[in-house]
Amino acid sequence: MEVKIEIIEGCTLVKIAGRLDTATAGEFEKAIAPILEGTMQHVILDCADFTYISSSGLRLFLVLQKSALAKGGKLSIRDMSAEIKSIFDMTGFSSLFTFEQSNV
Amino acid sequence: MSIVNKFKQSLSARIVTYVLTLCVLLFVLSLSGFYFFSKHRIEEMTYRNAEILTENTVMQTEAILAPIMKIADNYKWMITRMINHPDTFMDLTRQIVAQNPEIIGSAIAFTPNYFKEKGLYFSPYSYRDGDSIRSIQLGNENYEYFVMDWYQIPMSIQQPYWSEPYYDEGGGNALMTTYSVPVYLDSNGKEIIVAILTMDLPLDRFTEMVSSLKILETGYASVLSRNGTFVTHPNKELIMNQTIFSYAKEKNNPELREIGRDMQRNKSGFVSSTLDGIERVMYYAPLPSSNWTLAVLFPKSEMYLPLRSISIILLIVIIIGLGLLTVIIARIITRQLSPLHHFATSARDVAKGNFNIILPDIHTQDEMRELHDAFEYMQHNLVHYIQTLKDTTSAKEKIESELRIAREIQMGMIPKTFPPFPSRKEIEQFAVLIPAKEVGGDLYDYFIHEEKLYFIIGDVSGKGIPASLLMAVTRSLFRTVSLHYNTAAEIMAGLNRSLSENNESNMFVTLFLGLLDLRTGMLEYCNAGHNPPLLIEKTSSYFSVIPNLPLGLYEDFEFKQQSYQLNAGSTLFLYTDGITEAENGEQVLYGEERLLAFLSEKEFATPQLLIEGVLEDVTHHVAHAPQSDDMTMLAITFVGGQEKYEKSITLINEIQQIPVLYEFIEGVGHDLGLEDALVLKLNLALEEAVSNVILYAYPKEPGKKIVVSVSLKGSDLIFTVTDSGIPFDPTLSENPNLELSAEERPIGGLGIYLIKQIMNEVTYSRIHDINIFTMKKKI
Repeated sequence: MEVKIEIIEGCTLVKIAGRLDTATAGEFEKAIAPILEGTMQHVILDCADFTYISSSGLRLFLVLQKSALAKGGKLSIRDMSAEIKSIFDMTGFSSLFTFEQSNV
Repeated sequence: MSIVNKFKQSLSARIVTYVLTLCVLLFVLSLSGFYFFSKHRIEEMTYRNAEILTENTVMQTEAILAPIMKIADNYKWMITRMINHPDTFMDLTRQIVAQNPEIIGSAIAFTPNYFKEKGLYFSPYSYRDGDSIRSIQLGNENYEYFVMDWYQIPMSIQQPYWSEPYYDEGGGNALMTTYSVPVYLDSNGKEIIVAILTMDLPLDRFTEMVSSLKILETGYASVLSRNGTFVTHPNKELIMNQTIFSYAKEKNNPELREIGRDMQRNKSGFVSSTLDGIERVMYYAPLPSSNWTLAVLFPKSEMYLPLRSISIILLIVIIIGLGLLTVIIARIITRQLSPLHHFATSARDVAKGNFNIILPDIHTQDEMRELHDAFEYMQHNLVHYIQTLKDTTSAKEKIESELRIAREIQMGMIPKTFPPFPSRKEIEQFAVLIPAKEVGGDLYDYFIHEEKLYFIIGDVSGKGIPASLLMAVTRSLFRTVSLHYNTAAEIMAGLNRSLSENNESNMFVTLFLGLLDLRTGMLEYCNAGHNPPLLIEKTSSYFSVIPNLPLGLYEDFEFKQQSYQLNAGSTLFLYTDGITEAENGEQVLYGEERLLAFLSEKEFATPQLLIEGVLEDVTHHVAHAPQSDDMTMLAITFVGGQEKYEKSITLINEIQQIPVLYEFIEGVGHDLGLEDALVLKLNLALEEAVSNVILYAYPKEPGKKIVVSVSLKGSDLIFTVTDSGIPFDPTLSENPNLELSAEERPIGGLGIYLIKQIMNEVTYSRIHDINIFTMKKKI
């Protein structure tokens, strides 16, 4: 798993690639810690190269969302594959996040 | 002891009571008969005696009075002869007194002025004064004898007359009576009375005689004069002072007065009357010469005194006799019944099982002897019967134990190891045979030969040893005959021939025979009168079978066989009528409809679960009613002929092992050519399951093993995660609430939900401290 965090146009862009499973969840949690502690309202999760998520990952997605909502911002998930989206569907998480597709 | 004694005593007491009662009754009857008869006789005798006594006394008193009358008659004649010599009359009176010692005075009282020369009164009178005799003239102015009773009454009645008794004045208070006789003289052819001759008679002899009469104890005699004056009476005060009439008046006893009247009428007879408060019997009779009455009285009660004493003596004798009788009878009966006690003791001993008791000796030839003989007979027979019973029982026990062994042998013939062919993944099967109490005739069997599963289920007619023998024979024949033929019908015909030969007892076997090609699922089958099996595919239905005939009936019967292509996952459910004919308490059968309905409604993962499910339903139906027949079920699932797929991996409880699991699942997906999306989901489910174990099953215990295995059964991909950690059943966890908003959603709790969403079936079991978590996914 790889995580890149950039600030673009007042938004935190988190680019996540690879698998977010129980083994890597700790790594991801560390990576997003600054975001949770920071003041940036809006967070975009770029999932174009994101291949797998398990419940540990879903948990952290929810943490991010809650943090964003608490700051009056929002979390958007960009370019998530249908396979992973279906996992969100199964857990009812789809309704908790905003999904978008990049124009590219 | 006490009971026998009581019985004996009560029996003897009863007999004694009966005998005594009868005796007493008889005694009372005869005693009262005797008493009344005797009383009557005594009465009769006493009356008769009183009568005789009275008559005798009358005669005796007459003997005193009658001579006087004769003497008077004689002197009467002399007076007429001497009538012209008045002076001789004095001498005559002297002579009368002198010559008749019983006479103490005599007078010849002439009518007034009979002798002119003698004046108005002439009555020479001589009387005894001591030893001398004195003579006087009676009449003078002071003693006008013409008015005296002794003169006047015979004169007027012209009859001799006995005067009323009187006390002699001067004669020393002696009681006297005077007999007066008129003296007649012929005067001009006419008899006229010239004088009255009197003779004084003392009544002392008379009263002495009467007084000496004694009747019974206090009975006495009494003489009453014509007027009813008491002449003699034990009560001296009455004599001459009272008459019967004055006495009756004094005693206020009118009855007595009537008796007095009767006496005056010269009557005689018995009367009984209460005198002085005592009932007395009186007999009275007249003294003919004087018209006096003799009465004899005695208390009635005295009459019965002897009878009473005799009766008392008799009564005492009877009472003593009865007492003796009681003692003797009681002794005799007790003695006679004494063997009964021994018999009772003997009977009790016999009841305790002691058959060799010695019976009491009976030397008589009576009922006791009979009882003794009967006892002896019983004793002898009991010994015999008990011995027979012992023999029979031990024989029965032996048979029963042999039956049990037979049952064990029989049950031993039935394959009971499951799965029977662990290496054969094409089929899964399970079977049960629940025997009824008796040795029965149900059977099932199977074996694999040249990639074919040969299986039978059957039921031998009847029960017991014959059925079990035939069952054993059938099973053995199945094993041997099957290999000699190619088709199900041929095998069935072969079995039929073997079973029909020498089938003298006309037993038969219903049998379903199947040959399942494990590679293709082609089922070739032949039914010999057995219940049609059920085919469980997507829906359940009874298998279409030609019934043919049971085995053992017609040697040459041509069996027709059928075939059916089983799809992978199809299950064949075979059973015996013990299932469908299982009765509940109300005699309601379980029935084929209910079986079909049950199997249609439910879905079972394995043949074992299927059979256990049916058994539970049947047991529920039967409730507490006893099982009447063997219940046998055989379920075979054709898993499919595709190649087997099995893989497993052993992980340790570290998060770093997750990528290893990922590679494993990727490998399975590759092996089975699964789509990426499915692999992703399987990966997710497995990760959730394994990470659960890693995170929670072994708290702070690194290096523990987790085994993940996967196998493909038909279209089912089955994952199993096993660990030896703390017990945890993930299937029990609650589903998360999907309706909540992001803020409300709790962090976590999604893993198991995801597994359930992804997999078709998840089961958890813990066996021997191992958690087994199974997930099934249809592919």
